[in-house]
Amino acid sequence: MSFITWQYLLFLPLVLLLYWRLPGRGRLLLLLAASYVFYACWDVRFLALVMATTAIDFLCALSIEGKRPGAARVLLLALLPALWLLSCSFFLPAAGINLLIVAVAAALGLAFFAGHELIWLLAREKRSRAFLILSIGFCLGILGFFKYCGFFLDSARTMLEFLGMQPNKVLLNIILPVGISFYTFQSLGYVIDVYRGQSPACPSLLTFATFDAFFPQMVAGPIERGRHLIPQLQQTAAFRPDYLHDGLRLIIVGFFKKVFVADNCALLANYVFDPQTPLNGYWACLGVVAFAFQIYGDFSGYTDIARGSAKLFGIDLVQNFRFPYFAKNPSDFWGRWHISLSTWFRDYLYIPLGGNRGANWETIRNLAVTMLLAGLWHGANWIFVLWGAYHGLLLILYRVVPGLRSLGDETSASSYRGALAMALMWVFILVGWAIFRSPNLHQLGIWLAALGHWHTGLSLPWASSSLWLLLHAAPLILLQLLTWKYRDETSLRHLSWPARGLVYALMLLLIVSSTEHDTEFIYFQF
Amino acid sequence: MKMKKWLTPAFLFAVLLLGVAEIGARLFFAQDISGRFDYGYSPDAGFDERRDGLVQLFRAGGRRFHPQSFQRQRPPGTFRVMVIGDSVPRGPSFKEAYPFLLGTELQHHAVKAEAVNLALPGYGARRCQVVLRKALEFEPSLIVLHVNDSNKYEDEREFRRSQEFKTWHPRNWPMKVFIFRRLYEAKVEKVFWRLVPDQIRLKFAAKDADAQVAANPDPEEVRARVRLARETTRENAALARARGVPLLLITQCRLINDGPQAFHFEDHGLDALGRSLAGEGVYHLSMKEVFSSLLDPRSYFSDSGHLKPSGHLLMAQAIVRKMQEAYQQLGLTALKPEAKDGGG
Repeated sequence: MSFITWQYLLFLPLVLLLYWRLPGRGRLLLLLAASYVFYACWDVRFLALVMATTAIDFLCALSIEGKRPGAARVLLLALLPALWLLSCSFFLPAAGINLLIVAVAAALGLAFFAGHELIWLLAREKRSRAFLILSIGFCLGILGFFKYCGFFLDSARTMLEFLGMQPNKVLLNIILPVGISFYTFQSLGYVIDVYRGQSPACPSLLTFATFDAFFPQMVAGPIERGRHLIPQLQQTAAFRPDYLHDGLRLIIVGFFKKVFVADNCALLANYVFDPQTPLNGYWACLGVVAFAFQIYGDFSGYTDIARGSAKLFGIDLVQNFRFPYFAKNPSDFWGRWHISLSTWFRDYLYIPLGGNRGANWETIRNLAVTMLLAGLWHGANWIFVLWGAYHGLLLILYRVVPGLRSLGDETSASSYRGALAMALMWVFILVGWAIFRSPNLHQLGIWLAALGHWHTGLSLPWASSSLWLLLHAAPLILLQLLTWKYRDETSLRHLSWPARGLVYALMLLLIVSSTEHDTEFIYFQF
Repeated sequence: MKMKKWLTPAFLFAVLLLGVAEIGARLFFAQDISGRFDYGYSPDAGFDERRDGLVQLFRAGGRRFHPQSFQRQRPPGTFRVMVIGDSVPRGPSFKEAYPFLLGTELQHHAVKAEAVNLALPGYGARRCQVVLRKALEFEPSLIVLHVNDSNKYEDEREFRRSQEFKTWHPRNWPMKVFIFRRLYEAKVEKVFWRLVPDQIRLKFAAKDADAQVAANPDPEEVRARVRLARETTRENAALARARGVPLLLITQCRLINDGPQAFHFEDHGLDALGRSLAGEGVYHLSMKEVFSSLLDPRSYFSDSGHLKPSGHLLMAQAIVRKMQEAYQQLGLTALKPEAKDGGG
């Protein structure tokens, strides 16, 4: 179920009304059931993957803390995904689950159970690390199979063909489960935190399953930390009106960003990055600027709706965006864009690799590895690897080139230099978006080549389309300027109540005026 | 007191603003939006019949009529032609479209003519029939029905939407608010259609009507359209005959480019249909025949089906010639062709 559907607009109030009428444990049960229904609306089969991730990380985290769950419990949880698939095959034949899939799920469950029980036979000092590896191995294995298997097989075949060999064609048509990267990383982060002693293992399966599948942020983030979200899920506080005020404000702003800004800008971006479009320099620039607003409106809009929905339940999700296009250097950008992912990579990859503590070349290596993997996280496509590499290169350049380093220094006192740094970074970001949006390297080449010729040729007139873009980007920019003071993109606190009322009414009108162009969120594919 | 805490002043102010805007919209745009959710299947949308007998055509209910007015009762001695069809007869502008030019041509022939353009973009046979039924109430001397087969998909989709809209379905709720639909229409038709080039709209606007039509070039779909156009056009001819109103069927053709110098016309079988229905007050004019005899017909077309102003003029002249053939039945002695000189 997508946020931008009438179903969600009925689903959310219904769950909310029930939630505040139930006692503590009932609330969690309701949230878990609602989350599973929310996810099953996409594909009921893939709930098995969510259950598997939950079972693996719940058991491993407990075991890391030295709390041994009973073998029967471990076995039952390990087989839960297979049982789910089996019941789907009986009760939902349209889901197309055959017994082979159930058998594979059961075999994997048994393998996990065996691994789990064997690790308990190891010496105490080795167990924690082994459980961590077991958790990472299974979770990344699931992610790798569903997200990257086809990609790597395809790349290997292409390489062998390039080398003049004729490999057997392996055909794998794997459907990508929505949100798999998000909930896998969230769950893994929790296990790593428990291993490091930064977070206690959650003793309640119900609480942990709700944390893993919390519907507002399950499919596209923000990627939460266990120590931040789990205690909030355990709270039994009473309803407060400010939950409603803050939640609705965030939801309206999110809808505005997604429906009015992103979906309308998408028209131009889709045209420019279509292989059949004759491009010139004007259209190349227009398209990438349109995409910059599209992806920002789309993803930050999703995040705002997620945060607003969670807030209605009295739960605070982390801020994922903080005026990213006002960044002055690449490091600043990653501190403002998809903050929950960039801090995940920082805490669980970059710093363990050594961060910036070693020699300069080691820092460069760590940056490169982190950004390459961050690129790959976005999708099983070389274009995302290139995008990650490009941002890695920017981070390195801003580190080693003194002129860039001083320009991008946020403490620069000169406003002129600050504006220049922002403008330069904006250009770098746009080039990055051109890489990100191009369906392949060939299309990226076409986009880059178009920057070299500015004659009209076969291209359409671009002036009216620029006005279209401006009409849809300007309200967002205005909103950003209105909220700049509080360093919070959705805060309208410093406006007087009549001004706030006017802004809400206008946003609502603009949202409804664009409702026909409903499209899926970009980040759902990751 | 409890409710006061739930509702912030900003929220109440927003509701107040929207409420005032809604009341304003209901007062000022009520007529404009009448029949909007019948999606062209409302018999009266776009026709404002005033008490003084004047009928005004306006843009409403999904009907983008050219603004025109006429008396409900045909003035004595006036030959009233009403043209019904899709975007082709609607033309690039009111005065460049063949219905207007037909009126001018008839006046040149000393006919006191009144030509009314009731053509609407995207209207297929089914919705044209709704317009035809209404037009027959206004005492036309001749109905010109432009028969095309390319809008069947839109007809069906709009019919389904009109039926759907009558249900309680929540997805329709926001659009039942006047200000929302007014702004939505203004955005789509005044901003979207004008600022975004057709090439982008047709390809990337997933829910744009034109894009949906363009995405259906399936041969079976085309055959189904022809069948429907055939059946409905038969009904239309029967309807006009039953009311004793002469009907001129103009069958659409498409200009297909086969290369820089080569082209051909396609009529999807509409010409044969027109010929089969001709007789007893029903006349037929084939667009294909009008244009195929020309040296460079491509110069009269703005795309495969739509005409440039010069093409509209040619159509108006061809209609007049057709009317001349039937001047007695139409009661237009002024159109009696002059006897040809024997050449002696």
